[in-house]
Amino acid sequence: MESDDMRDFATEARRFLDAHVAKAPDRTAVTWGEGDDSMAYFSSLPPEEEREFVQRAREWQRIRHENGFGWITGPVEYGGRGLTPVHDLLYDAIESEYDVADTGVLSVIGLGMIGPTILAHAQPHIRDRWLPAMYRGDAIACQLFSEPGAGSDLASVATRAVREDGGPSRSSEAESGGDWVLNGQKVWTSVAQHSQIGLALTRTNPDAPKHRGITAFLVPMDAPGVEVRPLRQMTGGADFNEVFLTDVRIPDDHRLGEVDGGWTVALTTLMNERATVGSEGVGPVGAALSPDHLSALMRATWTWDDRALRARLAELLVDVLATEHLNARALRKLRGGVAPGPEMSVSKLMYGQNLTRAAHFVSDVLGPRIIADTGQWGTYAWTELLLATPALRILGGTEEIMKNILAERVLGLPKEPVTAAAKEVRS
Amino acid sequence: MTADESELRELRASVREFLEAKSPEEAVRKLMESEPRFDPAVWSQAADQLRLPGLAIPEEYGGDGFGLVELGVVLEEMGRALFCAPFFATVLLAAQALLASGDRDACARFLPGIASGRTTATLAVAEDHGSWDPAMVSARAVPDGDGGWTVRGRKCFVIDGTTADLILVVARTVAGPTLFVVERDATGLAAEPMETLDATRAMARLTFDAVPATLVGAEGAGGRIMAKVLDIASVGLAAEQAGGARRCLETSADYARVRHQFGRPIGSFQAVKHKCADMLVQVELAEASSREAARLADEGSPDFPVAAAVAHACCSRAYMTAAMENIQVHGGIGFTWEHPAHLYFRRAKSSQLLFGGPAVYHERLLDRLGI
Repeated sequence: MESDDMRDFATEARRFLDAHVAKAPDRTAVTWGEGDDSMAYFSSLPPEEEREFVQRAREWQRIRHENGFGWITGPVEYGGRGLTPVHDLLYDAIESEYDVADTGVLSVIGLGMIGPTILAHAQPHIRDRWLPAMYRGDAIACQLFSEPGAGSDLASVATRAVREDGGPSRSSEAESGGDWVLNGQKVWTSVAQHSQIGLALTRTNPDAPKHRGITAFLVPMDAPGVEVRPLRQMTGGADFNEVFLTDVRIPDDHRLGEVDGGWTVALTTLMNERATVGSEGVGPVGAALSPDHLSALMRATWTWDDRALRARLAELLVDVLATEHLNARALRKLRGGVAPGPEMSVSKLMYGQNLTRAAHFVSDVLGPRIIADTGQWGTYAWTELLLATPALRILGGTEEIMKNILAERVLGLPKEPVTAAAKEVRS
Repeated sequence: MTADESELRELRASVREFLEAKSPEEAVRKLMESEPRFDPAVWSQAADQLRLPGLAIPEEYGGDGFGLVELGVVLEEMGRALFCAPFFATVLLAAQALLASGDRDACARFLPGIASGRTTATLAVAEDHGSWDPAMVSARAVPDGDGGWTVRGRKCFVIDGTTADLILVVARTVAGPTLFVVERDATGLAAEPMETLDATRAMARLTFDAVPATLVGAEGAGGRIMAKVLDIASVGLAAEQAGGARRCLETSADYARVRHQFGRPIGSFQAVKHKCADMLVQVELAEASSREAARLADEGSPDFPVAAAVAHACCSRAYMTAAMENIQVHGGIGFTWEHPAHLYFRRAKSSQLLFGGPAVYHERLLDRLGI
């Protein structure tokens, strides 16, 4: 069922990967008590290791770029390959079989979402300045979208941007003009501490309906008035940031899209937020979804014949394995050159739910050994995953928003009627 | 033989068109209350026009030699339409038991009739306790001294047990559980219909009073044969369940779009919208698990037994969830006899428990995983 084009592309990708890196070790096979028992979902590294981690990511991105896999969907004039999103997803799925540096710090937000937005909406000299640098691994970009008062309801952003030469700008003076001054607070900003640029959504017209008073800017993160503060999350680590913008001056040529037309820009960014297929079993948490690992844990804790726990294990594994089958089928569609349907959204929902259930199942198996560290291998380490799981139902769109999207886009259910209050910006 | 994606789409379209014409809700409701519980004329057409009974029977035995992938498409459509026919018992239970037995004489003797649709058949394993575990069988078979065998005992929950022309039966010999075949008009065989939760699937209690029978496969091979048959039959059942669940989801979404309360379509309320999204997630998982298991079966993959157990458990839960929530989305109208929602609810619960239910299939999955 594989199309010739996809087969050739896959062959080329494997040839490149085989020449540069080893296959990923199988984390699902387990010898109890041996090896790394880390169950960290978030990295939470000490500063020195964090810098090395980012350096390795940049280095691998550079190698990808030099070999034609740095920007698979990008236009050739900016160093891209000019191929389809299906090629891109297929490459990700193939690369997940290899032991490569984690490039999430560059790719999830910057290359995946901000790059395509710059391409679609920025002025030519901004595109020339940043796109090649980003896809070479030199520049990292972050997304200055969410605010304390604008979470799921992103269009209610309140960070103000005011044009310096005179009062609030109006759409009628949308032509290139003086600098803009930004004031406000952003939150949940991943990788801000490593970024050279950030894409900010700001309020430029508080009197317009909320979707029509937003303007997008590319903010150099070293501009005076930009302050990045780590945000400590419930795991104890700090994987996100707060970004404070105080009188940050941005030239008008750093504007993306029209004045008050920033919602269109934001939609471009959000449309490029992609799920990946075929990478669920990868990383330290792969063990949490591995039948072998879970059964080894039950043997090690003498609970393998507990009927109640066995029934719960079976229920969990049904979902884990059915989700794997869903991913396998989506991947086969990709190899045939067909974009998957709702499988990706369903897979994302199930991934969060499965890991959450696995963490709680394992906790119940471990009992007291997860409330205090006995020093025993493979026990208290599960607290790392347990404490990370609430995030899986929130980040990248809450479970509730994901369900709205599935019901509205796949099942065609009507949107909620918009009330007058919901159209306005909360001041 | 293997059909490609476009051939599978064509197969699905022709089966759906056939069932929409021959098995609309009115026909299902009429047959639910008739004996036999199917329309022989429609069964003949399904065999003659669409060649459905022989679809997955090897060509050497008169079939078309396709696999579980193609059969799965047909079963999804049958489950969607609640098609009342001897298809499941004949094709998924009896024919698969004959094939699994490796008994070439028995296959050559019985499968061509099954493939052509002239012969209907079933498989009698469970007894009063309802277990399909051959180790639990207490019906006995003894040699009749003339090269044949005599079966004594009772079987329960036999699908299409009052109408099947051919009854494959698991009975115990000194060598252990063993497969036999008994013909409908054999002396000493009595069949009595059972009242069923799901009236679209007929079941019977059979009494074997020194019934002459023919050995199928090796003596004592019943356990091995049944393990294989249950894997295949539960994947077939899973396809039926996935089709039924998809239908419940579609019915709910259709209704949620048009039913207005408080001045808005009920589907615009998140409480209803999220219920439908949850059903969609279940249905997507159900289809993926049953289709993937069928593919692994056709490839002869060693992963098939695990996948079969996953599909059986996943589709059982998905269908039950979808059938329950379908009634909830419809509210009061969904609880009426006239509304078809209860037909799906009955089928969902009956299918979930047919081969033993969660307690059995969860342990089967762990067993197949070596846990």
